[in-house]
Amino acid sequence: MRAASQAVSLALFTLLFALANYRLPDWLPADIYLRLDPLLGLSAMVAGRVWVPRVVWGLALLVATVLIGRFFCSHICPLGAVLDFLDPVLFRRVKRRTLDSDRRLRNIKYVLLILCIAAALAGSSLVYLLDPISLLTRTYTLALFPPFVGAVNLALDGVRPVAAALRWMSVATLSYAQPVFYTSLATFLIFAGLIALGRLAPRFWCRYLCPLGALLSLVSPLGRLRREVGTECPACGACQEACPMGAATDEGGTRVAECIQCRTCVAACPEDLITFPTSPRMLPTGTSAHPDLSRRGFLYSIASGVGVGFAVQQSPFTPLQNKQQLIRPPGALPESEFLTTCIRCGECMKSCLTNTLQPTLWESGLAGLWTPKLDLRLAACEQECNVCGKVCPTQAIRSLDLEEKTHAKLGTAVLKKEMCLVWAQDKLCLICDEICPYDAIVFRTIDGYRRPFVVASRCNGCGYCEQRCPVEGDSAIVVAPIGQIRLRTGSYVVEAKKLQLDFKPNPGDDQFILKSEGLRAQPDTEESAGPRAQSQAAPSATRKPKGFLP
Amino acid sequence: MPKAREGVSRRDFLKTASTGLAVGLAGRSRGASAAPSHDLVVISGDPAAAAHRAVDALGGMSRFVQKGDRVVLKPNMSFASGPDRASNTHPAVVHAVARMCLEAGAEQVMVVDNPLQSAELCLRRAGVAEACKGLKNTYVQMFTDQKFYREVKIPKGKVLDRVEVLKEALDSQVLICLPQAKSHSNTGISMGIKGLMGLIWDRWSFHSKYNINEALADLATVLRPKLTILDATRALTTGGPGGPGEVVKPNLVIAGTDPVAVDAFGVGVAPWYGQQFKGRQVEHLLAASQRGLGKIDVDGLNILKATA
Repeated sequence: MRAASQAVSLALFTLLFALANYRLPDWLPADIYLRLDPLLGLSAMVAGRVWVPRVVWGLALLVATVLIGRFFCSHICPLGAVLDFLDPVLFRRVKRRTLDSDRRLRNIKYVLLILCIAAALAGSSLVYLLDPISLLTRTYTLALFPPFVGAVNLALDGVRPVAAALRWMSVATLSYAQPVFYTSLATFLIFAGLIALGRLAPRFWCRYLCPLGALLSLVSPLGRLRREVGTECPACGACQEACPMGAATDEGGTRVAECIQCRTCVAACPEDLITFPTSPRMLPTGTSAHPDLSRRGFLYSIASGVGVGFAVQQSPFTPLQNKQQLIRPPGALPESEFLTTCIRCGECMKSCLTNTLQPTLWESGLAGLWTPKLDLRLAACEQECNVCGKVCPTQAIRSLDLEEKTHAKLGTAVLKKEMCLVWAQDKLCLICDEICPYDAIVFRTIDGYRRPFVVASRCNGCGYCEQRCPVEGDSAIVVAPIGQIRLRTGSYVVEAKKLQLDFKPNPGDDQFILKSEGLRAQPDTEESAGPRAQSQAAPSATRKPKGFLP
Repeated sequence: MPKAREGVSRRDFLKTASTGLAVGLAGRSRGASAAPSHDLVVISGDPAAAAHRAVDALGGMSRFVQKGDRVVLKPNMSFASGPDRASNTHPAVVHAVARMCLEAGAEQVMVVDNPLQSAELCLRRAGVAEACKGLKNTYVQMFTDQKFYREVKIPKGKVLDRVEVLKEALDSQVLICLPQAKSHSNTGISMGIKGLMGLIWDRWSFHSKYNINEALADLATVLRPKLTILDATRALTTGGPGGPGEVVKPNLVIAGTDPVAVDAFGVGVAPWYGQQFKGRQVEHLLAASQRGLGKIDVDGLNILKATA
């Protein structure tokens, strides 16, 4: 029953993950698991000092936990399900005795919870490192999704010859775009390490480390469903042995906060003495409902959390926040709010149509680790797609309609003349112009050749030019965050209009090619004897559009 | 009275057989030799009807497609925009031609391109996939992985000596180009010959490494469409190849077996960047004709002009 619930929940989590792509319908909250996580919402709102309506869902889980107990950990949490399913596979033969330091280890999760919240109070987000839903989503995105697609393609390559011979062309021509991400390996190792901890104790992560479990355990003792052991209990220890959380104590007692209502003990009890009655009662004797964190430990945790949260900000990365070459997703909040609100779940990167969204490494310090950025040399931001905001559970990337998203200017393309094939080598290249959705690249005749220029007011930083620039190595046209529009609230369209930006495609722009006699090359002066002398050979081409002969 | 015999009389048999033989022979001779009466056909009308009429006027699709052939259609569909923008071939033209190929007995029709924008979006916005949905054995597919391409030598190449070409295009029996008539800020116009770039893997080197006009002519020496049907129902006269730009409506479909002649005629049907040009003035067409790939001067050609 419980395994079925876990399997369904994990399947649903995986399905929603798969559905998080640019075709996601507006009504489907693909990020629902992340929204349900009260810790993520709480931390994002506290750290970012913003109100995020979407995370109100987290209240539902808190209320449910108050009413029923920590059923989330045993029945719903997808990470718990992964750990439970892998446990018999990996550690069946392992004899695990209760760790000597069990009691102290249990406190770690409370320390971590307090650290996260205290750091959030100090204005830094740390919760992303440890929150189970964020961690699992991130692992899915960065570490599991790419090899999965790779394996599917490999299998397709295997059947391709057969399919082609049988003329199953839909199969023979099928191949999925391979997603790629930075930090895949590191993310995987963290996940693998967390599973490996199960070697020491079942659900090691849940018992000792999970800050979400810690948060839920603070309210779960208020729940109605509580484990009760009959008075005839002979203290045989079978339930203690069986309990994956170590919640059963000697003499039939229960650590209520630790109990996740998995009811493994019910099945384990040889005397059938264990029940989970629904009537609310006083806590029986022998139960402990509170984490036995000492007052000193509590205060230390708060102090360290605030300290860490504060210290993280005292680095050159803070004043440099808007001076880095980082291109953030369209609709990303202003940088400082963005960094504190983003929970690094990687859902935006997973759903990104072009794979341009990549995890940030150390470009903006610890505060920016794993936040999404655009790698425009790798891929551009597709103008007809707005999925990254749609799936962002904390709205660090605002959910925008396509019109708004188009106006959420990411930056401005900057042409590096010394690298541009046309400027530096007089080659016939127009790719940036060809691919630009907004005609933000125009050609003017300079030195007898038509040369590209960027019209900044028409460039919204989508990056097609940077991606497609055929120069080897770095692109000769690079989107810099110049002029990026980052709004906490309000309309990007209105803001763009205010700034006199126009991202409407402008037909007929190339008319200047013929009508612009006045834009023809200036008569060269002293330069003409220099390296430009060669290009003088082709001035006749200037009166015809490129590609035509006189 | 003897009962009427069941089955086929000798006379009937002979009649049927000879008719069949005659049809077969006629069909063959038409396909094999017998220069078609028209070098080019220029049909005005709505996209589907004009495409139909154009192919009929050239002798019907069976002249190009034999029973059991695998056909590759190469329209322009590498921009995520609809027919109004005139950067992609009209879906109705693609559909009409695909259907004619099937009717002529094609075993498979593969509609292909190597897109400039997200393949998924191009497939959806260009409307070709939608239009061809109901057709049997017809696949509309973007090939965005190198494994679908194979290197071939270009023995007559001036600037290109090898190029990676879509395997499907190499292995199929028939290649039909269905270009959209549009301006191109680098090659002047983009029609059939320029459209061949959608069949190769590394299209970027044409811009960065080679003289694109010469490279296109080189490419055209190895990719020889049996038929080119130019969609000039709309023409993007500025802002090409992707648009947006000025769209005029010549309402023409131009078809022929000579890829240079089709393009050369297409150059004349609309003003490009506000000026009238002749085929000879388009550098890559001139280069292609100099390679012996077709006639660039269309004035002397036998051209059928009709209305669909």
